[in-house]
Amino acid sequence: MGLWRHELRLLLRARLSVVALVLLAVLTIAALAAGLSEVARQRAAIAAIPASQAEDIGAIAAWAAETGDPGTAAYYSFHPTWDAPSPLAFAALGMRDVAPYILRVRALGLEAQIYDGDTFNPELALPGRFDFAFVLVFLAPLFVIALFHDLISGEREAGRQRMLAALPRGGAQLWQRRTVLRFAFLWTALGLPFAIAAIFSGVDAGATLAVLAVSAAYLWFWIALAWLVGRLRWSSVANAASLAACWLVLVLVLPTLAHVSINRAVPVNQGAEIALAQREMVNRAWDIPRDETMRRFYAKHPEWADSPPLPPEFHYKWYFAFHQVGDESVADEVEAYRTALEQRDRAARGLGWALPSVGVQALLTRLAETDLQSQLAYQDRIRAFHQRLRQFYYGYMFRDRPFGEADSDRAPHFKDLLDDAA
Amino acid sequence: MNPTALIAHDELRLMVRNRIAVIAFVLLVLLTLVAALSSWSHQRSVAELRARQQSAAEQAFDAQPDRHPHRVVHYGNFIFRPLGPLAAFDPGVDAFTGNSMFLEGHRQNTANFGDVRQSSLLVRFGQLTPAFVLQVVAPLLLIFLGYGSLARESERGTLRLLMLQGVMRGQVVRGKLAALGLVALLVGLPAMIGFVAIAGQPGALLLPMGIIALGYAGYLALWVVLIVLISALVRRSRDALLALVALWAVAVVLLPRVAPDIANAAVPLANRMQTDIAIARDLRQMGDSHNPDDPFFTAFKQRTLERYDVATVEELPVNYKGLLAVEGERLTSSLFDRYAGESYAAQARQNALVQAIGLFSPAIALRSLSMAAAGTDFAGHRRFLEQAEAYRYDLVQRLNRLQAEGVTYSDDTAIDPGADQRKRVDAEHWDAMPEFAYAAPSGASLATGALPGLAVVLGWLAVALLLLSRATRRLGER
Repeated sequence: MGLWRHELRLLLRARLSVVALVLLAVLTIAALAAGLSEVARQRAAIAAIPASQAEDIGAIAAWAAETGDPGTAAYYSFHPTWDAPSPLAFAALGMRDVAPYILRVRALGLEAQIYDGDTFNPELALPGRFDFAFVLVFLAPLFVIALFHDLISGEREAGRQRMLAALPRGGAQLWQRRTVLRFAFLWTALGLPFAIAAIFSGVDAGATLAVLAVSAAYLWFWIALAWLVGRLRWSSVANAASLAACWLVLVLVLPTLAHVSINRAVPVNQGAEIALAQREMVNRAWDIPRDETMRRFYAKHPEWADSPPLPPEFHYKWYFAFHQVGDESVADEVEAYRTALEQRDRAARGLGWALPSVGVQALLTRLAETDLQSQLAYQDRIRAFHQRLRQFYYGYMFRDRPFGEADSDRAPHFKDLLDDAA
Repeated sequence: MNPTALIAHDELRLMVRNRIAVIAFVLLVLLTLVAALSSWSHQRSVAELRARQQSAAEQAFDAQPDRHPHRVVHYGNFIFRPLGPLAAFDPGVDAFTGNSMFLEGHRQNTANFGDVRQSSLLVRFGQLTPAFVLQVVAPLLLIFLGYGSLARESERGTLRLLMLQGVMRGQVVRGKLAALGLVALLVGLPAMIGFVAIAGQPGALLLPMGIIALGYAGYLALWVVLIVLISALVRRSRDALLALVALWAVAVVLLPRVAPDIANAAVPLANRMQTDIAIARDLRQMGDSHNPDDPFFTAFKQRTLERYDVATVEELPVNYKGLLAVEGERLTSSLFDRYAGESYAAQARQNALVQAIGLFSPAIALRSLSMAAAGTDFAGHRRFLEQAEAYRYDLVQRLNRLQAEGVTYSDDTAIDPGADQRKRVDAEHWDAMPEFAYAAPSGASLATGALPGLAVVLGWLAVALLLLSRATRRLGER
């Protein structure tokens, strides 16, 4: 134990290591605070939905009820959906700053609504967020380099290496002690603030331990790299320079190169094409016989086929039917678009096995449910909810049941969908 | 040869002998070339794709059959943001903003299908462009090549020897500056060659390109001076390296990420739901076109009847429903403009905050300079959004006027089986509607946007030179 205490004293006497460790802890705490405040802001925005929605829907319900037409209510009523941040989201904000976490939809064609974004400042999103994942993936390796680049070469340059190797429990054991000690401090500077923030946010123990384990593994990767470079017996300066170059390549250059190659290998152009095709299909309905649309709609949805025939004047059930037919006509493109996105995501994840920086980022955003998969899962929930909205309003439109003010309270609520899933 | 040139020559020879340095330099040049080529071809293919989609959307619009004008208001039009030639050098926020927009009546849609939501998580690691290489990677290479330039000499005592031989301090420092400056020039050269290739593209602008070249030259020169400065100030070359890498990490990696978080927290942005609901609320307060007794629309009707000197809307020479649509669109659009203006102002405040923090990080200043001159910053996106809104308003109002003049009120309100045909106007009208033509900003206005960033970069350079001249005077005293 005495030897450990001795090493500890040596480590804490070096100004560079103390400054580095304190700085890392401060940066970690700042990143956690930034992540927590962003997540709190998003939660507050979600918590504010019911009040503002009540005001909005109340005004619409009042005059829609006067007409008694369920189509009017369905056309003008926007229903909110939201994607609440997971307890761990503060650690890796992932896509949550560029993809919407609140989206209001109406029972009209979904393909013209589901790709909408929210307001965000692109210049602020461009450099990426300052969160725990950033500190771990980008900054922590620099601290490993600062603490490990001269682990052995420093002693050699000071002329002490041979003496240390000759000491009892010197040599390999000494380097082990020093390595473990430095690792422990780095891990604590990262992990302790994180663990406190995780407990405070109610992250379950499994996810917390997983993040801690990932952090430890990532630190060990860089320590191993520093050790490998150290074996070349270069000077401390050369070690530091080559490690920093490795950092540059592994953390900045290779991921950007891979990004270019993945986006080139898996082209995604269909996004705007879906929107164009769906619009064409929807608007075409005005130029073809209405019965043609209804036949197509009833063929897919026989449950409404016994609805009375269309009157000569405008009827909303036809309007909503052609919107749904428009959605269904682009189902293949939607599927292809999604597959391409998933392919890009999979390729990047696969790269994570070779590039630890990418792997850690992918793992953290997965655990925090802030990655593309979570975005797509949110879109799935929107689709399911939209299906409920259609069913609800069709129940009035296709059965010619009047829609009163009280009926708008019976409309599906996104919260119920989330509760059903839970 | 004078002593300065000799020292520069000697320093360069040392660098060339350092195999790792040479490999790193070659790799950087290769990286720049790959970046220049890939972002040039990316810019070309994106520009081509958007042009193709734009013309497909225009053809679809023109090919519409006879339709009621209000149907066309909802059929709307798709527009695609064109990508300027300088985006090949610095695409800026292009990947982070939607690049297509659906324009229709009484709604303001968001720009959708940005790359950031269509790419893997790698997009958040940065984008491989010449701008990225010069902003982020090149300074680190210069640090590796130059951290020891003076620290090494004082560490080994060779600085004293030089001075004993009668070399002036200033000559030593200038020699080191010249050597590292030459490397910086070589580092920047491939990107500038790529830049010249872009200059051959139509629409490329000389003034903003000059500002970009000047800005990057100033930025790399700043790093050269900073490196020699730190190397002069510390006693050991290892300390110089660690201090410089730390400086680089803070200025280039850390602050650009922290600044947006500060701006985000300091200036809140209304989200879309809040804005939509606020617009709906304001609209209800202004006038409710669905309410027959609404005072605003009753007054509008009264005014209209008086203007045409008739007693009922049926007697009007124009279609009252079209006039109502024009008035309604005027109301909603005024609100769109107001709320969009508030949001733009808030975002501009956020960006100003980031620029203020940029006083402490030349990398932030250079980034904003570069994007502003390339026209790919927030202001460039806003320019597109504002032109899109102006076009949307003009198109919708043309269609509304067409409804007022081309469809009679009696046809428009009829529900008999033949009414649908009578409500339609001839398809030749669609072809006559103007197409969206993005008015690219002038070179002077792009250059003006880049000036604050340029001032910060050059200011840093001046301060660093001042500090270096002071450090030079005390060189070798310890």
